[in-house]
Amino acid sequence: MPEVRLFATCLVEEFYPSVIESAALVLERLKLKVRPLRSAFCCAQAPFNEGLRDEAVDLARRFLKSCEPGTPVVIPSGSCTSMVKIFYSDLLADDPALAKKAAAMRPWLFEFSQFLVNVLKVKYVGARFDRTAVYHPACHLTRELRVVDEPRLLLGAVQNLRMVDFRNPEECCGFGGAFSVKLPHISAAMVEDKIVRIKESGATAVIANDCGCLMQIGGALHRQGLQVETFHLAEVLAAR
Amino acid sequence: MSAFHKIIATVKSAIERSPRTAPPAHPASPGVIVPVTHDARRAELISQFARELEAVGGAFLGIFSPDEVRARTVALARDIGAHTAAIGAGVTLDTAAVARALEQAGIAVIRPGASGDAERASYRERLAGCDLGIVEANAGIAATGTLAVIGTSASPNSLTLLPPANLIIVNADRMRADLAAAVSAIGAETFTTKRVALITGPSRTADIEKMIVLGVHGPRKLYALAIWPNEV
Amino acid sequence: MAAAKPDPIPDFLETSRKGVADADLRRKLENSTGRHLEHVAHMRAEFPGYDGERDVARRIKEDAIGRLDELLIELKQKLEANGCTVFVAADAAEARDYIIKIARKASARHVVKGKSMTTEEIDLNPALQAAGMEVVETDLGEYIVQLRRERPSHIITPAIHLSKEDIGQLFADQLGIAYTAEPEALTAAARERLRSIFLGADLGVTGVNFAIAETGTLVLIENEGNGRLTSTLPETFIAVMGIEKVIPKLADLSHFLEILARTGTGQKLTTYTNFISGPRREGELDGPRAMHVVILDNGRSAMLADPVMREALYCLRCGACLNVCPVYRRIGGHAYNSPYPGPIGSIVSPNLFGSAAAKLPFASTLCGACRDICPVKIDIPRILLHLRWKETQAQPPTKWPADARRTRAGVRRFARMARHPRTLRLLSRIGGWMLRPFARDRYLRRMPGPFKNWTRWGRDFPAPGARRRKPRGEG
Repeated sequence: MPEVRLFATCLVEEFYPSVIESAALVLERLKLKVRPLRSAFCCAQAPFNEGLRDEAVDLARRFLKSCEPGTPVVIPSGSCTSMVKIFYSDLLADDPALAKKAAAMRPWLFEFSQFLVNVLKVKYVGARFDRTAVYHPACHLTRELRVVDEPRLLLGAVQNLRMVDFRNPEECCGFGGAFSVKLPHISAAMVEDKIVRIKESGATAVIANDCGCLMQIGGALHRQGLQVETFHLAEVLAAR
Repeated sequence: MSAFHKIIATVKSAIERSPRTAPPAHPASPGVIVPVTHDARRAELISQFARELEAVGGAFLGIFSPDEVRARTVALARDIGAHTAAIGAGVTLDTAAVARALEQAGIAVIRPGASGDAERASYRERLAGCDLGIVEANAGIAATGTLAVIGTSASPNSLTLLPPANLIIVNADRMRADLAAAVSAIGAETFTTKRVALITGPSRTADIEKMIVLGVHGPRKLYALAIWPNEV
Repeated sequence: MAAAKPDPIPDFLETSRKGVADADLRRKLENSTGRHLEHVAHMRAEFPGYDGERDVARRIKEDAIGRLDELLIELKQKLEANGCTVFVAADAAEARDYIIKIARKASARHVVKGKSMTTEEIDLNPALQAAGMEVVETDLGEYIVQLRRERPSHIITPAIHLSKEDIGQLFADQLGIAYTAEPEALTAAARERLRSIFLGADLGVTGVNFAIAETGTLVLIENEGNGRLTSTLPETFIAVMGIEKVIPKLADLSHFLEILARTGTGQKLTTYTNFISGPRREGELDGPRAMHVVILDNGRSAMLADPVMREALYCLRCGACLNVCPVYRRIGGHAYNSPYPGPIGSIVSPNLFGSAAAKLPFASTLCGACRDICPVKIDIPRILLHLRWKETQAQPPTKWPADARRTRAGVRRFARMARHPRTLRLLSRIGGWMLRPFARDRYLRRMPGPFKNWTRWGRDFPAPGARRRKPRGEG
């Protein structure tokens, strides 16, 4: 049975353990052997985005040590995947050995929906999810990885799921990692406007493939007492 | 070392410190598909020009022979109730004849005069007070509805700047497909010695709530007509 | 108004807080920027060659900036051959002093200006006023903000923060016309005022969009006609440009014009593209008697020396990145305290204004919308990350408030602990147990420490580890 590694990412480990369970389940149902990648905890994006390069290099080293080219690593997050797949080349520019390893790993790193649709060539995974939902395209997923259609194709094949449109879906939700607490007033204003548009759509669920967006949108929905739930794409695809 | 050379030296050392990028290979601008006949091509370009000009708020009056231009110009001046019109020397057209036709129709004509300080000031005053400025463009651009107007002593820039309405005439032979073709037809030499203005529609602004309003500083109305040259 | 010394620059955190708190401003920004983005989307859709032209334009800029020294020498020679006087200024003070010297020599009293962000950058207007001259901005948006004694809040649409009603009130108060909120009527009132000012002006100052080295030609792009008037009517004309505006050849220009208007204003071509190579020639009836070109460095060569920063010099100042930026759309341009707001401002301002602008690179979620709309594909997020890293090294350190310092310390602590996943997992499990009793359906209403700002600003916090059960298919 072919093997894949599944890297949970720090936000999933801390706040959304069900996402990793769901992602593993979806992959196992597709007859893959799933081996968690647990010797790394964070992709290094948090310190990298704050300008803390040395700390970020340490974490990148740790991540790269824990995987090898030849076995795909699947990551249920657009922004963590962008970090390891794209931003490592800038981060590790001064360390040729690490940069080489990062380059060798690059073709083996996949965001979850990217892996399903482009590698496994799968759209229908037998999911059933009885809700009316909007899909929030996460920024790094859309504009770094250029993963635009894959999640929508997968969601389109989910039974009983009614996808609806909302205005300006591509505009950032305002999470941005440390930005959300460093410039909290701007971050809160961004999600406030996003929620106005979600409300207009009549959806009862928001689906995204990035737990940062889910924290931000989910946290604001909950604060406003709205009956709209947030789900990770993997959770939707694992549901029956 | 002069201040200029000091800055050049700073720039040069800055470039040397950061890696130089390879000189680019520019693809040629996309070729134009030429229809079967010269006339068909001209007509096609002019109709495209007309559509684009109207899209930006200009008005296309039609295609006329050199003789018909006089009558059409007089008719336009009457339509807009012009009492005075200012006219510059033509590129291919004898605008003196147009000026005479306007005068015969009772419309006062302002012509460029001498270049002394007093004459220039009075010319400017009269232009600011006239009703219609008339010039011939050096070239037209079909893709954008643009007119390339070149300022000369016999056809000053202010003609397309101060009057509230403009009639710009363009010869069909001088209609180019796109900007690159027009710029190359005008030629580098002209750009260094003359003022060139590419005019695409009437003056406009979107500074108030991004809503489009025509006629801010320049002309509110822009009319264009094409001359179909007589066959020789 | 004696305004020799500008006021100390207010803090970004304070001004951006004012921005988000202004619901009216946010509505105006959303309307105007939304209208712009629709136009741009339409233009891109009907021009299939758009993306290819972006690459061509970018390559021309790469080439030009890569041999800027040669091109500047060529440009200066050609401009001088065309009859211009050229002055290269190392910094803002040199540029200001030169312009004032020229203005005095010309005995100028009435200065008209075309829109120029570079003259905003060097604070030219207060300097001219202090020298006893009357300065009038003639671009409609600039005129409006000048009447309000404000700075432009957008590089293309200076009065984007104002509604037509705001402007109507302003004109009623300041121009003494009857109140109207009709854009047509307001524009006509401004036209009438400014026309007479134009006819009496003795010095014109504008910016420059492109400077063609091959022919010694300045290209000035505009829609209103005020740039043409400013460069044509007064006896003395001064054009102010950054060193990065030079392009090699006349033939390069069309590649920029094809994309600049489409992205900047949603047009195929701006109404006026003016080519200005020199002063009035013998026998001509208009145009300035003397033409000066001020070429400004002011920190640009330092940007050029930094291989990551360098591409910021490719910027065409189209303003599209402001309109698409989710941060700009919430806080508005004034919050940035710089003539260059928005994403491009956040990468350029720290280079031009130093520590006063050091916080700006953090005003981004790195969403990448700016890079996607940029006509020359400037990788703004990458430069923001680069500047954040440089900010962490700055000496003396940037003055951040306590909570922002706590955030950074928290990230650093987390990053160090994340090197030891097992310990971190254990600790976070303990933390989760401690917090869970405070959770209400899997969310916490108040959080301590670095997350305090999360729950203080409109968001509940997910209880660590609470979301264990995967959802079921039924709603």
